[in-house]
Amino acid sequence: MSRTYIRFTPRQRLEHAAMMTVFTLLVVTGLPQKFFEASLSVWILDLLGGVDRARWIHRACGLAFTGLALLHVGWVLSDVLRGRAGLSMVPTRKDFTDAVVTLRFYLGVSNEQTRFDRFDYRQKFEYWGLILGSVVVILTGLILLWPVTVATYLPGEVIPAAKVAHSNEGLLAFLTIAVWHIYNAHFNPDVFPFDTTIFTGRISEERMHHEHPLELERILHGPGGTHGTPGAPHDLEPGAPPAPGNGGDRRA
Amino acid sequence: MLVAFILALTVQAAPDAATRIDQIDTCLTCHGDETLEVTLENGDTQSLFISHEVFARSVHGDKLSCVDCHTDMVEIPHETRAFSSRREISLAYYEQCKRCHFQNYAKTLDSVHDTALARGDTTAPLCVDCHGAHDVAPPNQPRTRISQTCASCHAGVSAVFARSVHGRALVDTGSADVPTCTDCHRSHDVAGPHAGNWIDRTPELCASCHADTPLMEKYGLSTLVHQTYLTDFHGVTARLRRSDRDRDQPVIARCTDCHGVHDIMKVDDPESPVIRANLVKTCQRCHADATENFPAAWLSHYEPTWERAPLVAAVTLAYKFLIPFMMGGLILQILLHVWRVVVNR
Repeated sequence: MSRTYIRFTPRQRLEHAAMMTVFTLLVVTGLPQKFFEASLSVWILDLLGGVDRARWIHRACGLAFTGLALLHVGWVLSDVLRGRAGLSMVPTRKDFTDAVVTLRFYLGVSNEQTRFDRFDYRQKFEYWGLILGSVVVILTGLILLWPVTVATYLPGEVIPAAKVAHSNEGLLAFLTIAVWHIYNAHFNPDVFPFDTTIFTGRISEERMHHEHPLELERILHGPGGTHGTPGAPHDLEPGAPPAPGNGGDRRA
Repeated sequence: MLVAFILALTVQAAPDAATRIDQIDTCLTCHGDETLEVTLENGDTQSLFISHEVFARSVHGDKLSCVDCHTDMVEIPHETRAFSSRREISLAYYEQCKRCHFQNYAKTLDSVHDTALARGDTTAPLCVDCHGAHDVAPPNQPRTRISQTCASCHAGVSAVFARSVHGRALVDTGSADVPTCTDCHRSHDVAGPHAGNWIDRTPELCASCHADTPLMEKYGLSTLVHQTYLTDFHGVTARLRRSDRDRDQPVIARCTDCHGVHDIMKVDDPESPVIRANLVKTCQRCHADATENFPAAWLSHYEPTWERAPLVAAVTLAYKFLIPFMMGGLILQILLHVWRVVVNR
């Protein structure tokens, strides 16, 4: 049995599962409202017990989504401040050069391949896209939830503008997940049919070697390694239980 | 027997004019007397006089004779009928019209009027209450006659209608372009707001004129009112609420909730509930705490153009670029990745 590394803590796995559930419900109850003319939308809304109940679910999930987002920010800040996690998700200059090198490789222009750290530029792009998108849908969602209150302080036109932004941002998020995320987590030949890491928390050594060589080196040789990002501790949480059989591989 | 059969045939076939006038004259031997009247059990006095002139001027004047409707009068003198009130007489003859006008009679069975009648409300209108009895005239000539007919019972609502933009145009100019009572409520299968899907159908009802481009152009009105409503939050909700399960949900604004019902005003009339000065109050009917800024949340049936709603237009435009740009880029990278994997194999 090949060695595995712990990539995600139980809390992170739970966060993903909760976010996935809430996001799915938001999409199922939200998109039929945007595409209200489609017969599929009418069918879905009927199935949910009508547009009013769908809206009720959407609002409840929206508030849950907001809660999850705030919790996430809180956890990340607290982890970083307490030195339990690094800034591995922060975009660096290397991400831009990585993107260029990778695209040149994809296009067949060059054979040079880049070596990624804990998160590659695509994962960072998706993460920050989700963060920015969340800010937009949360703010506009709150405007739409309390239009009368909002119009007490802001011009009324903010409300229809928020509606346009909310539904379009929701659509963009759905498309990104449906196309980009599902490709990377399922149809990508490297992981097909299912990248289980976010659910089990574990990633194989082969994949670490292939997809996150810099992080692997850091784990094996410590932060002073030639390819490590100086000063940035890796994200493996010291408090997390070691994977059976490879506890020694983790930097404690 | 044979004679009786031939006689029956003659009666069934349309009587020639002379026979018909003979029949009428036979009845008028007695009923041509202006003083002929009878006092009923409840004290009502019922005149039994029939003016030949009035009947001749009616739509039936050159078609029917007395016994076509009074089918039970088969001998002279006919036997005394025991009616206790004038209303009872009308009710007794109510079903006579359907012998010829079955389609319209059948429609009345679906009307609010028939529902009232079935409930035992004998004041509910019967055919003759709207059309008249011996003096039946085309009910819509002139067109103003329709609302006057309804006004004989619905005086209050009729007076309100007469002051509305539709009512004024109808009364002042006799315009055939504005709705009168029956255009919305129908004539025989008369329905009102208590009818099952009446409120649901409001936008369609208004759209039957307000989405009619040639008609609206005549008055410089926009036909976008219907489309913009249907794609706005209120309209989308109203549209999706069609399923019965949502019926107990709170009201969602339909045309009449903002513009009024019988009292619809021109949108620039100082009394109009949708003129800017009155709009907050109108919004407050549903959005109790609405403030001065709130009405601007409603784009007033306008498309969000740069002039009308620059913020909405800007956000719309931004996403028109952002979504294809993002998705294009991501899909391109996926395709490149797949291609590279295939090539490297």
